Amino acid sequence: MSPRDSELGKQQSAERWEQQIRKGALEMAALAALWDGRLYGLEIIRRFSDSPQLALSEGTIYPILGRLKDEGLLASEWVEAEAGHPRKYYWLTDAGRLRLQQMAATWTEFSRELARLIRPVVTSQKEEVKR
Amino acid sequence: MNQAAELQIETYLRSLRECLPNLSVAEREEIIREISVHIRESAEEPRANVADILARLGSPQSLASQYGHDPVIQRASRSLSPLTILLATLHLGRRGVEGFALFLVAFIGYAMGAAFIITALLKSFFPAETGLWVGPHTFDFGFNTPASFNPLNHEVLGWWYVPIALALGGFSLWITTYGIRWFLQRRSVRRLGEAQQVAAASSLVAGLS
Repeated sequence: MSPRDSELGKQQSAERWEQQIRKGALEMAALAALWDGRLYGLEIIRRFSDSPQLALSEGTIYPILGRLKDEGLLASEWVEAEAGHPRKYYWLTDAGRLRLQQMAATWTEFSRELARLIRPVVTSQKEEVKR
Repeated sequence: MNQAAELQIETYLRSLRECLPNLSVAEREEIIREISVHIRESAEEPRANVADILARLGSPQSLASQYGHDPVIQRASRSLSPLTILLATLHLGRRGVEGFALFLVAFIGYAMGAAFIITALLKSFFPAETGLWVGPHTFDFGFNTPASFNPLNHEVLGWWYVPIALALGGFSLWITTYGIRWFLQRRSVRRLGEAQQVAAASSLVAGLS
């Protein structure tokens, strides 16, 4: 393997890691987007487009919504619009609300712990930038 | 929308449909309808470009691979009903050797559970013929007809047979249900991981090319 290949391999594994983190978070983000009421797929995607960290291949959100629905966390309904396209609206079921609350609690605790662990790394990076 | 854009959309949806063979027609058409509305509504935004919209959706193959879950298996992996679980293993059994082996395990487990429970009930009606028969070459749970009765064997449990057979039957049903569920859950996690890796790899390739 040439040094260039191994560089590329490292970059690929870093990108894969980042994508997996985003995918895991996206399930919770999709549930969270529906906390205040019903939305259809494109509306959920538009909410995410404001936060570049969540922006992902747009197709990803639809299979996630389908899976959450199969798990009974979401319900859905097609609504025919008077003008324009029919839309498939999603909303949280009671089980979905409960799961989202559990996820949010786990996430908060988990990210707090992780932030504490990586604090020395982040501080040393900042100091290097200052120099 | 111009004709070229319409053709691009149709081609995309056709490939997507072809990549979703494991779903029922209704499920597949529901997915196609939702994605179709997504593309058409996005295309109405100012300065929208169909090619960009399709690129943001990902290739039909990678999108389809993320729908790789199977509702029958998903339902069974959370169910406590032996019938749902048995039907799911039968469904898998038609697809491969691993699935067929799982079906056999489920079938034998449930048959054993049911047999123990039935003989426990039979004990109340045929106390002399039902029990645990022990003899020189025999260790046999269950019902003995007078024709198959061997004078060398004798019954050892008496009325204790009822609670013991019920407990063994319950245990067989329990271990089969939770064992198969555990396997189905592990299998869907594994498949989901594969689908995500395929999707991640193909978007990476798309990004590099």
